[in-house]
Amino acid sequence: MNKTRTTLTAYAMLLPALVLLGVFTLYPVLYNVVLSFSKYTALELGAGKGPSWVGLENYQKVFSDPLYQTGIVNSLKYLVVVPILQIFSLLVAVLVNRSLPAIAFFRAGYYIPVITSISLAAVMWEWVYAKDGMINAALQGLGVLSKTSAFGWLINENTALWAIMFVTFWQGFGYYMVLYLAGLQSIPTELDEAARLDGATKTQVFWKITVPLMKPTLMICSLLSTLAALRVLQEIMVFTGGGPVNSTYTALFYVYSKAFKEFDYGQGAAAGMGVALIGFLLSYVNYRLTRDQQVTG
Amino acid sequence: MKKSVKKVALVSLALISTGLTSSAFAQQKTQIEFWTWYLSPKFDNFIKGVIADFEKQNPNITVKWLDKQDTIERDFQATIALGQAPDVVNLWNDSTAAAVQNNLLVPITDLTPLSTLNRLYYSNVLNIFKHDSKFYGYPWYGYVDQGVMMYNSELLQKAGVSISRIRTLDDLLNASKTIKDKTGAYGWLPPVSDPNGASFLAYFYLDGLPITNASGQAVFNSPTHAALLQKYVDLMKGDYIPQDLLRKEAFQVTNELYSQGKVAFMVGGPQSLNRVRDSNKDIYSKTKITSAPLGKAKVQTGGAFSLVIPRASKHQKEAALFALFMTNNVNQVKFANVVPIVPTTKAAKNDPSFKTTSQDPIEIATARVAGTGGLINPGFASPKNTDVVYKNFNDNIQAAFLGRKTAQQALNDAVTFWNANAK
Repeated sequence: MNKTRTTLTAYAMLLPALVLLGVFTLYPVLYNVVLSFSKYTALELGAGKGPSWVGLENYQKVFSDPLYQTGIVNSLKYLVVVPILQIFSLLVAVLVNRSLPAIAFFRAGYYIPVITSISLAAVMWEWVYAKDGMINAALQGLGVLSKTSAFGWLINENTALWAIMFVTFWQGFGYYMVLYLAGLQSIPTELDEAARLDGATKTQVFWKITVPLMKPTLMICSLLSTLAALRVLQEIMVFTGGGPVNSTYTALFYVYSKAFKEFDYGQGAAAGMGVALIGFLLSYVNYRLTRDQQVTG
Repeated sequence: MKKSVKKVALVSLALISTGLTSSAFAQQKTQIEFWTWYLSPKFDNFIKGVIADFEKQNPNITVKWLDKQDTIERDFQATIALGQAPDVVNLWNDSTAAAVQNNLLVPITDLTPLSTLNRLYYSNVLNIFKHDSKFYGYPWYGYVDQGVMMYNSELLQKAGVSISRIRTLDDLLNASKTIKDKTGAYGWLPPVSDPNGASFLAYFYLDGLPITNASGQAVFNSPTHAALLQKYVDLMKGDYIPQDLLRKEAFQVTNELYSQGKVAFMVGGPQSLNRVRDSNKDIYSKTKITSAPLGKAKVQTGGAFSLVIPRASKHQKEAALFALFMTNNVNQVKFANVVPIVPTTKAAKNDPSFKTTSQDPIEIATARVAGTGGLINPGFASPKNTDVVYKNFNDNIQAAFLGRKTAQQALNDAVTFWNANAK
């Protein structure tokens, strides 16, 4: 009786959050699944009709569209940023996890890009990447690039995606650094001290103690950044709009264009399901690679 | 005691009856919802003023105004799906065409006699919003792409370029080369791949080259078309026009660079000068105005914004009344005196408020373009599947500019895609 009451009380407490989650997350997800198998465009909307079942037609159209394939390839390329971002954030977290003078200033400084709006960041990075911008000036100064061979980094098909990826990296590392910092500070210092007494070097301590104990944080951070990389849209819109010649056209940009520019909600939903499936698979791989293994023996 | 009860009863009765009549009056009032696109906060006073005038003339109608920005089309569809459609919506050429293709709009001739529309507006502008012989948009403010040419007289002087020699687009391109070679500043920045629309198509139209044939098939891939595209590709290769035009709107890039003294010419409407005046008074003082050079066909391109009535509107009659009021000559002239737009009403052409003896560049330019509503012409009708077709066109144009395809190949591919998808 008491247990039942406790359970009911717990659910009653959870109810408001569950309702919100159901209305704003679960329902849209389920409705998206239904839409992906339906014909529903602005034409149906204008005629006051609802979605009508078309089976796999949307999937066939979307998955055979070269533009969607380009989007998927670019989105997968974008994942390159994930390991680099995680390793760098972890190293910076280790670096600022000490009681040095003015360390709070550095921690705050690294976090500033996180709270900088993408529009503002875009203005700054456009200057950096411009044909007569900072990068080319530096490369010309070093003699790597001649004045005649200078190019706009966001205009060149071979560099545009990487240039935007670097902005994602720049904006993201402060956020993950803070998460890693929290993880590092939860590791008992006794373990570190004991290992050092046993003669372990700093590097050994890092790889044998710090990294294994940081696995839960690593899993969360790499999962978050994988999904964020897959969902990249704002940066693309602000910097290149998917160009030049679709070299920065990502899968989510395709979803957005289908649903909110062409107003083909069915195909947009099907394209979104493709992205969600990739996200799910990558999350699983991520979990398998970073899950906490029980040490036995 | 009895008296006081009577008094209370009488007062109560009076109050109740007043309440009843006022609520009955309130019930007779119709509220319409009006959406504009990117007009707030800059033009709040003007819009609110027109709404107040309208409500004064139509005491039974109230107008709820919302200004939408980049999500206007998305919000429009969402509100229709929710059964809460607005009553009057401000769209532009392509978005009006897309809304018509999706059967979202009421033909305005169902609500306003065609004779009234013909009397008020330029027929060339009305025709922009004509689809399958029906009209779907009340013409609001317009613009001309050529309009006037505003130029930095100091840069021209440094380069030794005489403005009187620039009569055609080719003259302008040649002058731009000279200016770049002699001063390092760009001359004219032509729109080549603006994110919205298919800006390069306009050059074919300006030179009198066909875009589609009588049956609507795309035909812009002749060797002459390819040569024209190649001319602009070569200009970018030689850095006579910046590569940034492949990524950003020419209007935006031109505005930024002209204000910095890095561009010599601005071609279009005088609204381009507002930013120059606010950000660099020195360059503004050196700005002179002249007629815009034209292509071989001696025509101009331009467009207009519309006020449309959604099919899903519950107050179409009142909406039409308001749309007519907002777009009438008095209010368009008022608007043109707030910001240099081109009125689409015939009567605006000879309005005395556009006559000026001022030496101020904006006032001179405004006076020149205010009466050019009769020249507004998009040059070509938006194809069906507008977004998809234009995106592919722009991708191909970009490929030509970046050397991925020859000009001929890019146009062949664009034509093939257009004819397969513009259905």
